[in-house]
Order: sequence, then C-alpha cells, then structure tokens
Amino acid sequence: MKKIIVEVCSCSKCVMMGSMDIISSIESLKKLKSQLRLHAQIEIVECKCIGPCRDRDCSPVVRINGKELTNATSEVVMSNIIALTAKDVK
Amino acid sequence: MRGIYTPVTKIRRQVFAEIAKLAYEHDDYASIDEIPYKIITGEVPTYRDSVFKERAIVGERLRLAIGLPLRKVDEHSVLSKGVREAAVDQNLIEEPLVNVIPFACNACDELSYFVTDNCRGCLAHPCTSVCPVKAVSIVDGKSHIDKEKCVKCGRCAEICPYNAIVKYVRPCAAACGVNAIESDHLGRAKINHDKCVSCGMCIVNCPFAAIADKSEIFQLIQAIKKGEKISAAIAPSFAGQLGPHATPERIKEAFHKLGFVDVVEVALGADIGAVEEAKHFAHSVPESQPFLGTSCCPSWAAMAKKNFPMLADYISDSFTPMVATARVIKERNPNSRVVFVGPCISKKLEAKREDLKQYVDFVITYEELMGMFVAKHIDFGDIDNEQPLQDASSDGRGYAIAGGVASAISESITALYPDTEFKVDRAEGLANCKKMLMLAKAGKRNGYLLEGMACPGGCIGGPGTLMQLNKAAASVKQYQENADLKKAVQNPYAVGEMDMYADPPSLEGRPEGPVQND
Repeated sequence: MKKIIVEVCSCSKCVMMGSMDIISSIESLKKLKSQLRLHAQIEIVECKCIGPCRDRDCSPVVRINGKELTNATSEVVMSNIIALTAKDVK
Repeated sequence: MRGIYTPVTKIRRQVFAEIAKLAYEHDDYASIDEIPYKIITGEVPTYRDSVFKERAIVGERLRLAIGLPLRKVDEHSVLSKGVREAAVDQNLIEEPLVNVIPFACNACDELSYFVTDNCRGCLAHPCTSVCPVKAVSIVDGKSHIDKEKCVKCGRCAEICPYNAIVKYVRPCAAACGVNAIESDHLGRAKINHDKCVSCGMCIVNCPFAAIADKSEIFQLIQAIKKGEKISAAIAPSFAGQLGPHATPERIKEAFHKLGFVDVVEVALGADIGAVEEAKHFAHSVPESQPFLGTSCCPSWAAMAKKNFPMLADYISDSFTPMVATARVIKERNPNSRVVFVGPCISKKLEAKREDLKQYVDFVITYEELMGMFVAKHIDFGDIDNEQPLQDASSDGRGYAIAGGVASAISESITALYPDTEFKVDRAEGLANCKKMLMLAKAGKRNGYLLEGMACPGGCIGGPGTLMQLNKAAASVKQYQENADLKKAVQNPYAVGEMDMYADPPSLEGRPEGPVQND
C-alpha cells in the first residue's frame, strides 16, 4: 500500500489560519475510504514551522510527500491527496 | 459553525493579529488606515459584491477589536478616529459588547417556510390539505405559500413526502437562546440588548460575518508595553486550543515571551468554587432554597436573572472561577494586574461589574491571544523551557467541558457531606437552559443541583475558541489526567476557603438561611 506523508505546519500563524482544520479534513477522508477507493496509508505529521510562513503571509503551509502547498485550504489538500491515491490505483 | 474554518473565521483572526501587531510595533496608530488593504487585497472582491464594502466592514471590525464603538454609516468619520485616545493601559469597552455591523448583514428573512425545487407538484399535494389558513395552494403546477397568510405552523413541511418545504430561520436568531435578535427598518438583524446576555453564539453562527464583539487586546498590549506586572489567569479549556505544540508545560514560557510575569490556572478558582458551592448546596437545599444553580457561566446566570427573576436567588452567587483565581493572584501579589484568558466573551462584561472589576483587569479570548502570539512571532515549537502547571485538581480542570462543573460539585458534596442526597440536571445552550429553568419553576427540580452552560459542549464550545469540539474535549481530558490532585477537596486553596464558614462537615447545626459569601 502506498504511503502518503502529509506534513502540516503547526506554527502559531498556521494554527491561527486553520491548519488544525485541514488536519480534521484529512482525517475525515478515512471515513470515505470505500467511496474514494483510497488505497493508501495517510500519515499526518503536525510538524514545527515548515518555513515559508515565517517571512511571507502564506499560511497555512502543508507538504504532501515533499510537495509544498502554501495558502493551503481543506479542499486543495484533500484533492491533492486523492489525486495521489488515484494514480496508484491505475 | 463552530469547528469549521471558513473565510469568516479567517477575517476575524486576521483582524486580531493585525491589531496586536499595530499595538506592539507602533506608537503612531494612524497606520490603522492601511490594515483593511492588507487584509482585503487587490481590486476584485472575494467575499462580497464590492471590495470597498469588504474593506469598510474590516474597518468596523478593526474598531471593535480596539474596543471602540461602530461608526454611523450616515456620518463622516475616519477609521482612525479615537484610536490614539484608545491607546490606554486599561480596558475601556462599553456596552453593547456584541454588535451587528449593519451593512455587513445580509438581511436574511425572519422565520419562514418556503417551497424548494424538490416540489414535484404531486397529485396528492397534502400540503394544501393540512394548512389551517389556506396559505398553501398549487400555482403553475407547484406548491406555493402565501407569506401574508402563513402562520408558520409547519404542518405543510411535516407532511410533504419529498421534503420540499423547508423551515428557514435566520442563523443568528436560530443560535440565540434568548430571542434577542430583532430586525431594523431594513430587515437587518438588530440585537435587543435588554434581552441579550452576550453569549456570542450569534457571532460564530452568522455566515456573513456581520456580528462581532469588542476586544481588549489593544489596551492589554499598552499595559504590557508600559511594563506593568501582568499575570494571566488561563481557563481550563485552553488545553489543545493553541495547536499541537502548545502543551500546558510550555504555556508559562510563551506568556513570558508576550510580556506577562506569571500564569495561573483558572481551574484553581474552579476548585475553590466547587467546594464553596458544595457547601452552599448542603447548607441551603432544600431548607432555604429548592435547588442550586451553578454560578460559573455568566451568560447562564444573566439569562436566569433576566428571564426568571423569581428564581435568580437560587443561582449561586459564589465567585466564578475567573474571579476566585484573580483574587488569589492579587492576594499573592497586590501590584499584579490580571488578564483572564478564556473561550468566553461574556466574561468581558462580568469583569466590568462594579463589585468585581477590582479583581480582573482584562479579558481576552484564545483567538485574540493567538493574534498576539502571531504578532510577536512566538512559536510553541521553539519553546524548550517546560514548566508544569499544577495549580488545580482534575475536578477543577473538568469545568471546561459540559457536565464537568456539576460533576466537580457533586464529588465535593459527596466528599464533605456523605449523607446529603441530591440529584443533578444540566443543560447546554441557552434555549435548553431555559427549558430546565421552566421545569425548576414548576417545582420539578427540587433538591437538584443545576448546571447551566450557555455554549453547546460547555466552555470548549465557546465563541473565542479555535479548536473543534471533539479534539478540544480530548485535550482537556488529557490535561485533567495529568493533574497531581484528583479532587477539588484536595486542593489546599479550596479547603482553606472553607474556614470562613467555620462549621463541621455534618448535617447537624447547619445555619439557617442562605450562606453568605464574604
């Protein structure tokens, strides 16, 4: 099974701008496992400041398998994760 | 919409962070005029029909965050008016605390029933048959409700086999447990401040971000900048609110970095209050009063006083955990000033009460606090100086979650007066609290301990929180488990308070009449 590592920046700014809500929406994907044909193991990491949000207004920051997303939203993060698992199915 | 991050949440928090930044970094506050352009960028509107309106609304929010009143829409006034005068080191907010920004309001219809596209114009159309006032008819093959005739009984909605008729309540009014939402001459929401108890539920439930409360962060930061000795009294619901790295052990250091001298758990005051209310209960119920209502939630207490004046005396007048904690801090250090940090906006008014304002100098919410951390670039992940908080018991920390107050008091009654018999009832949300008091009024709650919580879920569901309810509850439970003391009666501060009653913990020799506080 493919493993997807989602690192969510948990610095003060990202938490204020909703990074914990992004985590909840990633967790909510697990409940839709059968509908989404999610054949991947999603590991969520609440990490220390990833960096770009320190100097720029781009919170929240999320890294999915190394790919950095700035100004991330729940919908963008969820669709990115689903896109990664879809490739795996084919 | 508690627990879902939306653009409404985003703007509210950006405003707090920008005001905190303004207060920390500047001495000339004219730059407040630039903030709306920082929060609402570009020329194309994102949220509403015009970018100018978006900025004007942000402007009003900025003024409220500074503690200033709204500007009149039909009078010329600049955004920065009064800001310099507001840069003082004490809180200056005046009622009303909760304000509708009129031009941000979408003027949603009041309670109504309407037919949606689900209507298939069916042969049976039972909606017409059940209507007692002939308000429902079939027009162009679809059900139609004549709003003039409709008496909003809801029968048509109940009977429709396609769920095509929906009940529609304005979100602010639906969230309000005391029916304080009325309409102005343009159909926009208007708060009846005689009824409002400042619970803040309309603020977090308005999808158009039209309602906001006043904040004290601007003045608090002035006091910090002046070098005042400020202690934070932090409510037990803080656990988990500030992110995964904000463990209770790191709280003290983080507050030091903000410029505070100390942090004390409000759960300490909860321990004191639990023991005091246990004594109050054992002394007075049922002899001098039929039941005892808890005191800690100010909106619940205010609702009881406004709506059930004949029962008001039965709500405990013990000091709330906030005030009890502030008193301890000021006894330890009389020069200290106290900031209550919590999930609650109603506490802002409680702290302004004539008899209590000597104890609590400022009240801020977790959201506002987070704005301060962001403004000062303080990250919990960078803190390695860990100092455990051990001011309170697991019981006191449990005050954060609905049911926790009643459970702490019950435990204390059982520990101190093992022979006392009592029952417990509790309610969350002011509408439910009202129902509970109706039962009490009818004499059906005699011998009860009644816990009232204005916010669904208890304090962890308060309007000033950042975290989802289930996660917040898990964090608080963890924080409770980490307490060295388990019971409120084990807390020396709580038991020390008992001396003022100077009586043996037995059922005999109880004083007549209600127990007086000092």
